[in-house]
Amino acid sequence: MDKLTFYALSSPEKLDRIGQYLEQRLNKEVKWRRVEFVFIAMDALDQLLVSCHAQSLNLFVESFLKMVQKLLECEEPELQILATASFVKFANIEEDTPSYHRRYDFFVSKFSSMSHSGLQKQETRTKIRRAGLHGLQGLVRKTVSDDLQVNIWDPVHMDKIVPSLLFNMHDPSLYEEHPSFIAETVFRDLICRASYGCIKSVVKPVLIHMDNHSLWVPNQFAVKCFKIIMYSVQAQYGYIVISSLLDHLDEHVKTDPSIKSSIVSVLFQAVLISAGGSIGPSVLEVFNILLRHLRISVDNKSQNTELRNKEIEFEDEVINTIAFANNLPDYQKIEIMMFVMGKFPQFSSDEDTCAMDTQLQMNLLRTLLKVATKYETVTFSNAFPPEFLHPLLRMSLLDDSLMRVTVQNILQTLIDRHDNTQKLKPVRIPGDISKLNLTIEKSSRQDILFMKKSGMQFYWHIYENMQMTSNRVDNFEALYCTMCLLAVELGDGEILIELFRLALDIQQMIVTSAGLPLTHKCAIHGLIAAYMNLLTHLTDIPSLAEYISQVIELRREQYLFDQNKIAECFSNSGHDTIRLSSSFIQKPYSADHDFNVREKQKYNEEITVESLKQMLAEDNIVNKELEDKKRLEILETFRSAPFEEIVARSEAKSNHFHNKLNEILDMVVDPVEASEDDVNNATVPVYQMTYPDLFVY
Amino acid sequence: MEDYKYLFKVVLIGNAGVGKTCLVRRFTEGLFPPGQGATIGVDFMIKTVEVDGEKVKLQIWDTAGQERFRAITQAYYRAAHALIVVYDVCCQNSFESLPQWLNEIELYAGTQVLTFLVGNKIDKHAKEIPTHIGEQFSQRHDMTFLETSAKQSDNVEKLFMDIAKGLTKKAKENLLDTEDKTEFPTGGSTPISTFSCCRI
Repeated sequence: MDKLTFYALSSPEKLDRIGQYLEQRLNKEVKWRRVEFVFIAMDALDQLLVSCHAQSLNLFVESFLKMVQKLLECEEPELQILATASFVKFANIEEDTPSYHRRYDFFVSKFSSMSHSGLQKQETRTKIRRAGLHGLQGLVRKTVSDDLQVNIWDPVHMDKIVPSLLFNMHDPSLYEEHPSFIAETVFRDLICRASYGCIKSVVKPVLIHMDNHSLWVPNQFAVKCFKIIMYSVQAQYGYIVISSLLDHLDEHVKTDPSIKSSIVSVLFQAVLISAGGSIGPSVLEVFNILLRHLRISVDNKSQNTELRNKEIEFEDEVINTIAFANNLPDYQKIEIMMFVMGKFPQFSSDEDTCAMDTQLQMNLLRTLLKVATKYETVTFSNAFPPEFLHPLLRMSLLDDSLMRVTVQNILQTLIDRHDNTQKLKPVRIPGDISKLNLTIEKSSRQDILFMKKSGMQFYWHIYENMQMTSNRVDNFEALYCTMCLLAVELGDGEILIELFRLALDIQQMIVTSAGLPLTHKCAIHGLIAAYMNLLTHLTDIPSLAEYISQVIELRREQYLFDQNKIAECFSNSGHDTIRLSSSFIQKPYSADHDFNVREKQKYNEEITVESLKQMLAEDNIVNKELEDKKRLEILETFRSAPFEEIVARSEAKSNHFHNKLNEILDMVVDPVEASEDDVNNATVPVYQMTYPDLFVY
Repeated sequence: MEDYKYLFKVVLIGNAGVGKTCLVRRFTEGLFPPGQGATIGVDFMIKTVEVDGEKVKLQIWDTAGQERFRAITQAYYRAAHALIVVYDVCCQNSFESLPQWLNEIELYAGTQVLTFLVGNKIDKHAKEIPTHIGEQFSQRHDMTFLETSAKQSDNVEKLFMDIAKGLTKKAKENLLDTEDKTEFPTGGSTPISTFSCCRI
């Protein structure tokens, strides 16, 4: 053998002939089933192959491959394994001369077939499968780098190779020699070599395999496969995998929802892995498809509860996945949000959409919120392009109160650049604004310009929002927070004046409007008081301090004055409510209490504002008389309304008012203060700081 | 040097359990394997026959009938020169699936493919599909029809020989069109496993 190698090395031109001879010889041995000679001949071929790196190797390879094929065609497992081993050796050799005409069809077919070996004897079967997998790996290695060779990525080949690998991966094993382990390695190898055009031809068979072997439900294997794919695939191509999954989802529109939700959850995992931006240009398409499926799913309202539940699961899965637009760059998030909003019935002329159920709308809003949370606002004009802002604000007037809160939350997360939202969450009137630790930064010219353009939009919608009778405590809280954020983020001179104006308008509205229940009015009064307080602190004008002290003074007087009224009011209501639980008596009391305080605050604030305006703008002066008149008016309302309200409600034996009061109470006062004693001692955040003697009777 | 003149790929398809593997075994090994398990994926056999004094090598790909392997078996039709669609004469169901198989052939196989329809298991008594029905069906779909018994070796040899003859004839007619006709005239470097071009 050494001699032969030496000879071949020294005269490479003979290699061709040597190959032919060996081939003939081997043919004979195979024919006569002289296995040991076959081994020797193969060994010789192998060694020559490994040691000779010459031009003429190319021709020798032809003989070699024919021999391998010959052996693979034999029945004997040993020979097949031997042939594969030789082939793998060959595959690891880097050839320096291209070969234009080598074909591997047979090898692909045969190795794939071997990977599926169904031989009776377990041991041999495993060996054959292992050999088949190694053979496939060799094939991929050999062909993938060389453009001149057969295109291994052709679906003809991939449709054989990929299912063979997956089939062996079904039962996982950590044992390195186990077919499944080998298959997984080969699979990874294959995917990381795949270039742009080839991903689809790999992913497609994977998807079909999942279908055929019903591997979607349960989907551990599918998830595993796609994790492997996503981790192995070159990052810039990740989106192709995702879009393939989506296409596949399309094909399954009519199938069992549990399969669909499995596909989507696989998709979710895949999106998670795909690095930022890799979802790429087709991103809107991705969302479009997902949203369409959401629609379809909601639309086919199945009578069958079980099926319906599955659909709901599917819907949740879709929402989850959509929300992972988080990985996208910011400008695309806005696009996505606009896109999602376009799906709301309000913005679509499509007849059918009107019937869209609230659950879906809520789901869409949740999606929006999730996306918005990850958006980092830099300038307002970027965060709120008009095409986005207008529909969003329109949505803030949806009928469902819960949805409105969500819309406000979306606005808040977009407006807030300094994490102030949480600090503004409960409505309160701190004496010292710095206790809130608000992060305030001077707003830029750009933002001010933006507010000049779009401010009215915000104001008008907030104003309208206040008037909604279906508002609940969290609606008010959310509105307050939004208003405050606007002030904090954009609190520049002129804008502050505008915000004062807004507060005044709202106040005017509650004074004049008859439609709102008293509870709402009170809540809004309280809200405005708190808001005014914040605003005055934001305006950095010394003379304001004067007004504040004046406010306190006024408040104290009026408080005392109102104390009587409360007593009066209370005896009336107390009389009626005495049969009800004691807590009811207690709570309305403290609540009324608060109302009065708030009423007063409001008045004072009103004065402050007016004066402020005088100072700042020297226009728009409101007469003192007018003010007084207003005050009287409100007092009037306040005085007459509570009786009717409370009496009516207690007569109706409804706890509604009670609850409302509680809500308002909770909103204004810390929960600790639920009992009256506490109100006096522990009203730390709300009143005591500013007006410590307020609660002393 | 090469021991054959033509190489043909033959693929067997049909429902699970109609006897595809047994047909192949009977032909290549001359035996009838009792208790044959379901084929997984694709099996491979080779047999060289003689047609008009010329050696013809048949590469026989025996596919799994089970639905779950449909994808991989489809991949094998594509390169096939001849397809054998098998049904079980004692199983109405397997006959009724035939249109579905033909559909698959249309989708995945080449246009030139030679198609044979085979009703297997004629040794059994409870025959459900009469011969003329199968014959009619094959005529309508332009296929050659044969009834076989892998167990008793009826018509099995004939089936594969007919295929070999048919393909050889076709190959001779089409020889001028064959893709790899004169590309590699020297050096004995013939492509491996291509259609009918293995001259010595």
